[in-house]
Amino acid sequence: MKVLEIKNVSKIYNETEVKVNAVNGVTLDFQEAEFAAIVGPSGSGKTTLLNLIGGLDNPTSGEIIIDGTNLAKLKSSQLINFRMRNIGFVFQAYNLIPVLTAKENVEFIMNLQKWSRKERDERTFELLKEVGLSDRANSRPTKLSGGQQQRVAVARALASRPKFVLADEPTANLDSKAATTLLEIMEKLNHESKITFIFSTHDPRVVKMARRIIALEDGKVVSDVK
Amino acid sequence: MLINMIWKTAWKNVWRNRVRSLVVISSVTIGIFAGVFSVALMNGLIAQRVDDALNEEISHIQIASKDFRINNDPQLVIGNPDETLSKIRSVEGVIGICERTVLTGMANTASKSAGVQITGIDPEKEKQVFTVSEKIIPGTGDYFEKESKYNLALIGEELAKDLNIIRYSVDTSTLSRLKEKGLPANIITKLIPLTGKRFANEKQFIKEMKTLFTAGEAMKYGLIIRKEAWSFREGARLTLTFLDKDNNQVGAVFRLTGLYDVANSIFEKGTVFVKNSDLTKLTGIAENTFHQIVVKINNLDHTDELTTTLAEKLPELEVISWKKIQPDLAMMTDMVGQFYLIFGLIILAALAFGIINTMLMVVLERTRELGMLTAIGMNKKRVFSMIMLESVFLSLIGAVTGMITSYILISITANSGINLSQYAEGFEALGYSARVYPQISAGFFGIVTILIIITGILSSIYPAMKALKLNPVEAIRAE
Repeated sequence: MKVLEIKNVSKIYNETEVKVNAVNGVTLDFQEAEFAAIVGPSGSGKTTLLNLIGGLDNPTSGEIIIDGTNLAKLKSSQLINFRMRNIGFVFQAYNLIPVLTAKENVEFIMNLQKWSRKERDERTFELLKEVGLSDRANSRPTKLSGGQQQRVAVARALASRPKFVLADEPTANLDSKAATTLLEIMEKLNHESKITFIFSTHDPRVVKMARRIIALEDGKVVSDVK
Repeated sequence: MLINMIWKTAWKNVWRNRVRSLVVISSVTIGIFAGVFSVALMNGLIAQRVDDALNEEISHIQIASKDFRINNDPQLVIGNPDETLSKIRSVEGVIGICERTVLTGMANTASKSAGVQITGIDPEKEKQVFTVSEKIIPGTGDYFEKESKYNLALIGEELAKDLNIIRYSVDTSTLSRLKEKGLPANIITKLIPLTGKRFANEKQFIKEMKTLFTAGEAMKYGLIIRKEAWSFREGARLTLTFLDKDNNQVGAVFRLTGLYDVANSIFEKGTVFVKNSDLTKLTGIAENTFHQIVVKINNLDHTDELTTTLAEKLPELEVISWKKIQPDLAMMTDMVGQFYLIFGLIILAALAFGIINTMLMVVLERTRELGMLTAIGMNKKRVFSMIMLESVFLSLIGAVTGMITSYILISITANSGINLSQYAEGFEALGYSARVYPQISAGFFGIVTILIIITGILSSIYPAMKALKLNPVEAIRAE
C-alpha cells in the first residue's frame, strides 16, 4: 500500500537572487513497511527532501501526497495536526524534552492526541520495552546515554502509530555499538509494526541495513535501488 | 489530560534554570511585599487618622445655625434646642449627641498667648461622642471630674508647650525613669550636667540638648527625654478672652483641670475645652442654648444617608457630615483606591519587564526544543499556553511568597503597631499617630492575585509571539 507519493517536487532557495535548487524534480513513491535510506553527499538535498516530506517546509513546485492527502492543500494549523497524526520524527540531536522523563517524552505526543491514560500507559510501556528501556522509564534524558536518548526518540516517533517515520541522520551522534543497537531496534519495529522508515544518512551501517537506497545528487534522484 | 501535560511541562520548565527563576521570583516577591505592606501601612495611617478625627475632633455629623460655621457669631445659637435634640434622637442610627458652645478667642499666660477655639461642653454628654476624656496625660489632672469653684479648662499638650505652661527639668527621678525605659548609660551620663536646671519652654531645652548630643542621638532619644523631662503644675492658670453674646470682649481666668494628648498637634494647639455652664455665665448666652450639636452614628458607611435625613428634619439648620467638615480627609479616603491602583500598576509594570526579559531568554535558549515541538505536532495555541503558563507560574510563586511574607508581617504589627516615635512630631503635625497599625482586607490579596495573573499573561505575549514565529526547520538546527 502506498503511504507517500512525491510528485516532481522541487525546492528553490533565494528565488530572487542566486537560485539554489536544493531539490530538483524529485518523484518517488513509498510503500507501507519500507526501510529506505536517502543517501548522497553534503548539500545533495537529503535533509531538504526530508523536511518537505515531513511538511516542515513547502515545495516550490510539485506535490507531496501522504495517504491520499496533498500537503499543499492543508492550512498551517491543519498541517501541524496532520504531522502529529501521520508522521514520526527522529532528529540527529535526539531533541527530547529535558525536563520530562523517558516515559513522559514518549507519551507526550499521545497526550497531544488526547489518548486515555490507560492507552498511553500501555503504548508507552510497550514501546519502551521494544527499545529496551523499560527500566529507564523514569529517567530524565540527562541521565541517559546518547544511544538511549535516541531510542527514546524512536519510541516517541512511533508512539502515535504514524504512517511513516522520518529519521534525519539518526546515528550521526552515536558510537558504533549504540548505532548498531539503534538500527537493529528500528528494523525490528519496522518489521513488526509495518511502519515505513525513511532515513537521510551518510552512515554506511544504515545503508547496509536499508532495503531501499535512494541516492541524491544536486537535488536529483540519481539512483533508486530496492 | 492534555491540559495537565501542558501545566506539568510548564511547571517543570520553571525549574529548569533554578537560579534565574529564583531571581525573578525574588524580585516579584519583593515587589509584591513592598506593594502590599505599603498599602497596609497607608490603610493603617488613614484608618487611624479618620478614627482619631471622628472620635477626638469632629465626630460624624455637626449641626449648627446656617451661618455659624462662616461667621462664628456668638449670637447664632440653635433655636428650640429641646425640639431639635428630640428630632435628632428620633433618627435611627444616632448613638450619641452632645451640645457645644463654640467661641473663638485667645488663650494667654504671663509670657505667651495663642489664638484658640474655646469649646463649651457638658463633660458627661461629651463622653458619649468623643474619647478626649481617655486622652488625659497621666499626672496632669482629670477630665472635669472634680468639683471646683473656679472656671476650669482642659488644654492640649501642644498648647501648654506654646504657652510655656509645660516646663522642662532633669532630676534624679527623671534619670531613673529614662534608665527604666532602656536608654543607654552613655546617654543618661550626658544628661547629668542638666540636673537641677529648669527650662521655661521646649525650645530652650532642645537648644541645651543639642550641645550635649549628636544629631543621631537627639533624633533617636530626644523625644523620650523631652517626654520624661517635662513638668506641669496641676491647677496652673490661663486667661481666656472671647466675645460675649453682645459681641463685647470678655476675659476670665481658668484653672487647668488637665492636659490632653491626641495624635493631632494642630487640634491640640487650637482647642480649649471648658464647661458649658462656665461659658454661658461669662457670655450671657441663655442656659440650654448652644451653637453646635455633634452627632455620633453607629455606622460610618451611613454618614451620607443620615446627614440627608437629619437635614430634611432640620431644614432651618445646617447639617454637615465629617466629609464636608474635613474635605481633605474625605478626599483621602475616596482617592486612596485610585492611588493604590496607580502605585500597583507601577510595581506590576516594573515586574512585567523583568518577566518579559526572562521569558525572552527562555524562548531563545529553547529555540531547538520549540522547533521540535512544532514539528511533532504541538500547535500554536499549545505552545503559547505553555509559555504563558511558565510566565504565570513565575509571577504567581513570587506573588504568593510576597503576600505570605507581608501577611505575616502585617499580622505581627497589626496588634503591636509600628513605632515611628522618632518621627512623632512630624506625624502629629499632620494629624497622624506615630504608632501605625497596618491593616489590609482579605479581598485585597484576591485583587493582587488577579492582577499578578494578568501581569503574567500580558508579560508572556511578546515572548510567546516570538516562539510562534519560529520556523521549525531553522529552529531544529539552531545551536
